[in-house]
Amino acid sequence: MSVNKKVSDDNRKVEISVTGRFDFSLHQHFRDSYTNSKDKNVEFILNLSETTYMDSSALGMILLLKDHAESCSGKVVINKPSESVNKILEIAQFHRLLTIVK
Amino acid sequence: MAAPLRERDVKLALVVDDSAMQCKVLSVLLKEEGYRVFTANDGARGVAMYIKYSPDLVLMDINMPIMNGYEAARKIKSLSQANSLCPLIFITSMDSDKAFIESIDAGGDGILVRPFSPAVFKAKIKSIQRISDLYAQVKTLQQEQQNDAELAEQLMSGVIESRNFGIDRIGIIKKAAELFSGDIQLTALAPNGDVNAMLGDFTGHGLRSSIGAIPLAETFRTMTKKGFSLFEIITQINHQLYDLLPTDLFLGAGFASISSHDGSVYLFNAGLPDVYLFSDKGVIKHKTSSSHPPLGVLPKLLPDSKLTVVGIEETDRVVLISDGIVEARNEQGEMFDFDRFEESVKQGILEKNVSGVVLQSVDDFCQKMPQEDDISLIDIPCGGWEQAIVTNQGVENFSAQQLNDISLSAESAWHWQLTLSGSRLAAINPIPMAMSQINEIEGNAEHWQSLYTILTELFVNALDHGVLGLSSELKGSAEGFSQYYLERERRLKNLIDGSVELQISHYPFPNGGRIIIKIKDSGQGFDIKKYFQNNAEKSDEASMLSGRGIVLVEQLCDSLDFQGNGNIVEVSYVWTI
Repeated sequence: MSVNKKVSDDNRKVEISVTGRFDFSLHQHFRDSYTNSKDKNVEFILNLSETTYMDSSALGMILLLKDHAESCSGKVVINKPSESVNKILEIAQFHRLLTIVK
Repeated sequence: MAAPLRERDVKLALVVDDSAMQCKVLSVLLKEEGYRVFTANDGARGVAMYIKYSPDLVLMDINMPIMNGYEAARKIKSLSQANSLCPLIFITSMDSDKAFIESIDAGGDGILVRPFSPAVFKAKIKSIQRISDLYAQVKTLQQEQQNDAELAEQLMSGVIESRNFGIDRIGIIKKAAELFSGDIQLTALAPNGDVNAMLGDFTGHGLRSSIGAIPLAETFRTMTKKGFSLFEIITQINHQLYDLLPTDLFLGAGFASISSHDGSVYLFNAGLPDVYLFSDKGVIKHKTSSSHPPLGVLPKLLPDSKLTVVGIEETDRVVLISDGIVEARNEQGEMFDFDRFEESVKQGILEKNVSGVVLQSVDDFCQKMPQEDDISLIDIPCGGWEQAIVTNQGVENFSAQQLNDISLSAESAWHWQLTLSGSRLAAINPIPMAMSQINEIEGNAEHWQSLYTILTELFVNALDHGVLGLSSELKGSAEGFSQYYLERERRLKNLIDGSVELQISHYPFPNGGRIIIKIKDSGQGFDIKKYFQNNAEKSDEASMLSGRGIVLVEQLCDSLDFQGNGNIVEVSYVWTI
């Protein structure tokens, strides 16, 4: 499992990809991936296409990211969640809190 | 339980060396550092001395008769308690990689190669003692934490489980992945005899995930007891958790409110696996999927949130679970999943032991795999709760003459009145207000349960049939049932005029009193004569024109009168101590 971060050339988009299991053990890495992005109006794209599993603490971490993004007038988009991850997002009804692109 | 750590003023050192001369030299240096010193001249005696004195530090030669240093070190390390570090340093003149590696392998915490100066020796002792102190400190903290956790766990189960309602009939599985469970199961009885149940799953596990449990349990119980509707309770819990908990901590929760006399169950699912309604044959009659983000995420419930209402049979069962059951894995990494779960519930219903059978199936499936998540379930029978309501016996203790005297005894001791209209009427439930009024003046008592039922039934009638003009005939069929509630919701939303007036008067007498409730609605009323004719003709309760609610109220009151066009109802309720 790992967290990777890609910043677009104009600094307007930050793509965070989580590979493998997305759980509490990634807490620090995940936080580190966005806390330094303090520019206004940044779009955080959370790529979960390679995420095999996600637990409720991961949902909490996504909410923290959302808080951070909104504090800088930015937003969070979840991109291509894998099937098993999507099931969990659905149960938590996260599509009602942020954008999920399938 | 680990033994408490030793505390003593003087530190003890054990020197194990076959050379009496070396023992002497090291002893002098150690004494200068404040140690009390014991010596042994071979490994075996060294081990014996270690057992006898349990020193704070061991210095060990490698080459010795009878038992060499490595062997003695292994013995000593195997004897030392898990929660205390007695540092062991090898003293040797063998300056080789092999000696060093073997020393550490044997359990040594360091090695000192001769020749060394007294200053170097003392520095080495100090450094090793520092590590040992740190180790002791960590162990003490760990112990304290464990004690706190155990205490908190006791407190938590005391507050939560011990006060659940109906645990003799409601099956509960609670198997925590850690000492502290992030899952919480609550059941409580509403004043009208409805049974409320909640299964919650806090983010993560352990102490961190349990901090919200106590305020949550209090809110759930208090509001249920005061007669707030399930929706009001959920709204409040969401608000409370949003205020209390940090962003990344929230509660996936399923709720059920079983109303036996109404023949329905109200369900809500915010972030849990489907909530089930099973028949007595174990057939799935209904599933409510999650329709809302977990509670505590949003400051207010989403505007379109609503309860699902399903008609029930007495023999049905509502089953709530957290994801721990369906995600439990076996050695092959397979999940227990929904098919196996549903099958095990069916089996459980047939064997009349849902929680037992499900737990056994999960255990059989997972074998020796360690439990990763809290496993929990609530299984509630839909029928058999009516007896929880106490029917009014008070009136039978008085003769007709006495009752008559009481009604004539002019003035009421108090009178309470509230009129709700328009949007306020749509949004506010006046019954908890009325009840708290009664509780405040007359004290809290069990028999108010019946009064609560009377008030609720009459108010709902006034609102639904009077103001909203809904016909209860709709509720006769399964489709009509949900149609009724959809229509009710629609009309409530559009409610502009219309009002309900509530009056409560209390006439006290020794050891009791009479409560007169008068409810007037702005509706059309109904043909009272026809109603009573209809009732007289139909002995079958279920087919009566008015709902089961009025039958219940009639049973509980000593008189019930419709007045005006049928838009006013007045009942009298007599209570005694």
